[in-house]
Amino acid sequence: MTNPDTIVPKHVPRVVPSDPVPVLDLRSGPDSFGTWARSIGRSRVLLLTLAHQDFRARYKRASFGVLWSIALPLFQSAVMVFIFSRVGHFGKGLGFSYAGFVLAGMVPWLYLSTSIGTSTTSIVDASNLTDKVFFPRALLPLVAPVSNLVTLLISTVILLVALPVVGQGLSLRFLLVIPAMVLLFVFTASIGLALSALYVYFRDVKFMVAAVLLVWMYVTPVVYPQSALQHAGKWLDFNPLTGIVGLFQRAAVGGAEPSARALIVTVVVTVVLAVAAIAAHRRHDRLFVDLL
Amino acid sequence: MTLPAIEMEGVGKRYWKIHERSLLRSLIPFGPPNRTELWALRDADLRVAPGETIGIIGRNGAGKSTMLRLLAGVTRPSTGRVVIRGRIAPLLSVGVGFHQEMTGRENIYVNGMMLGFTRARIKALFDDIVDFADLGEFIDTPVKFYSSGMYMRLGFSVAIHSEPDVLLVDEVLAVGDIGFRLRSFDRMRAMQQSGAALVFVSHWLQAVQVLCPRTVCMHQGRIAYDGPTEHAIARHHELLARDGPRVVGGHGSVRVLHRELVATMRGPLGIVQQDDVVAYRLRLRFDEAVDSPQLLFRVLAEDSTLVYQMQTPLGERWRSFAAGDETDVVVRFRPRLGGGGTFRVAVQVTNTDSSITLADDESGPAFFVEPRPGVVGVCDLDARIAVDDEDRTDQRSLRFGEVRAAAEGA
Repeated sequence: MTNPDTIVPKHVPRVVPSDPVPVLDLRSGPDSFGTWARSIGRSRVLLLTLAHQDFRARYKRASFGVLWSIALPLFQSAVMVFIFSRVGHFGKGLGFSYAGFVLAGMVPWLYLSTSIGTSTTSIVDASNLTDKVFFPRALLPLVAPVSNLVTLLISTVILLVALPVVGQGLSLRFLLVIPAMVLLFVFTASIGLALSALYVYFRDVKFMVAAVLLVWMYVTPVVYPQSALQHAGKWLDFNPLTGIVGLFQRAAVGGAEPSARALIVTVVVTVVLAVAAIAAHRRHDRLFVDLL
Repeated sequence: MTLPAIEMEGVGKRYWKIHERSLLRSLIPFGPPNRTELWALRDADLRVAPGETIGIIGRNGAGKSTMLRLLAGVTRPSTGRVVIRGRIAPLLSVGVGFHQEMTGRENIYVNGMMLGFTRARIKALFDDIVDFADLGEFIDTPVKFYSSGMYMRLGFSVAIHSEPDVLLVDEVLAVGDIGFRLRSFDRMRAMQQSGAALVFVSHWLQAVQVLCPRTVCMHQGRIAYDGPTEHAIARHHELLARDGPRVVGGHGSVRVLHRELVATMRGPLGIVQQDDVVAYRLRLRFDEAVDSPQLLFRVLAEDSTLVYQMQTPLGERWRSFAAGDETDVVVRFRPRLGGGGTFRVAVQVTNTDSSITLADDESGPAFFVEPRPGVVGVCDLDARIAVDDEDRTDQRSLRFGEVRAAAEGA
């Protein structure tokens, strides 16, 4: 390259402007992990579009629109605070605002419970679509956790605003919600992935999920501090949600919870679930449709 | 050498027919098997070159939709291998993939992305898509207010604008109005010319015939024939006649022992021309004595609409049959069914005043009528369009006659 004039002209007419021809090679076995992962990666814009659509469609016909996503957690928290402080006499002598504590616990709980129900049935619900056009099925259970992130963000902001109102001072500690949200998202997405695959094969799963969600909130320190249970409280550490909810509450009102053990349980369970769910989706990606 | 756009090698697809799929049951390791296997497709070998168009025909359950699913990549084969080179666009059935609450505009984006468009590409093609779909102001209306025709136009428009290398077309085209159908056919022809492979799966034999030079006839999960469309259609009718359900209802005192449809068949096998004489021969057996039975002859379209009926003089006394008598009946007719298509004959034997049905044979043999050039519809009214005394009547085969001519010349 001594003479710069010999370098190719600036505007090289591109003969083939399109992408390389994709080749679909289907055999009886599942796609390799690499192929599967790349197909997910390529579909990320589709995932975002589906999530965007899901979010918009949900509130489209309601006059108050997205306001509902703020009103509901506030309303449910208010009901909980009223019941447990008036009837159950919780929340006295805690050293922090009980209302703030409940609101902080409700934020992740509502995100999880609304996402999981939709995720579980997502593949089956989309059967008319999956029958005709191929895209990684793993996108479907991810739509709800992704679109609900908007609601999660909004309600976290509400939490931030509400804390001073209920008499809880703010501190930098609130930044803990960031790792808490990441953990919550990965945990919820993994459960959704796993359950959606399972639901294709076993339709009982939907009802089991409903039953579990009914109980889960009460075995998670959402409306009561873990310490309020004294000795029994430490068993809640084995509930993977304890760590996540605890992080939100700690960010909001402080306290000693969650314990390191609870956080370790959360992380381990999340990783195991994610690995199992990904393995199931890779294996069954093009087989789900046979059972719909 | 160009590689085939579609390659299937020894492809089989097994489904499990599950008797009882419950969590509890599947946890029991032993016990009677919970499922039986069902091969929807076996030993399928198929190669489609870029730019080639093939039709796939066959009865319901012959394996057509399994084939389509495999080609769309939504399921994987149980045996063998499917290779598809290029972008695939399945032409989605009515309403598939659309979100009811969202407008046509919003749905174009999601639908396009599912077909592998990038957002920028959709933006660039957006106006073309909307124009082709011809939705006007409805583009900003939620699709749940769309008619089935509008739905289909939108879906089709998105699919063809994705510039696929392989376009899979299902029954959908039967929905649109004629104008849109013709535009779609034109568009498909353009895609053929630009090198896209087209797979057209349909019961609508007439469309298969005009669009596809080559057709695969499926039968019981196997490829029964693969070759020129006329022969495939002939094979299809042969198979239909062989194992068509002999549902003979009615009182049961008269049985149809034998039936055959004979045409003079100047055209290729299995396809009758409008002016041919077709003879439907029947042998009836009377299991009980019947006085003055009457016979109704019908021609039914594929969707069982009555196209034609003629009967013996009802209420008139003419002859009595004793128990055990057998008799021959011949019905001769000219299938002047303008736009052509698949039809079947049906007969009914009744008592004298037609108050009791003695035999009801709804599913007689089917036949395929060659369309009269330029005619769409069930009959030929021999219409002429004159504009200022100039005859502007289209005598060509639905405007894509050239496709056929090219195919026949090849």
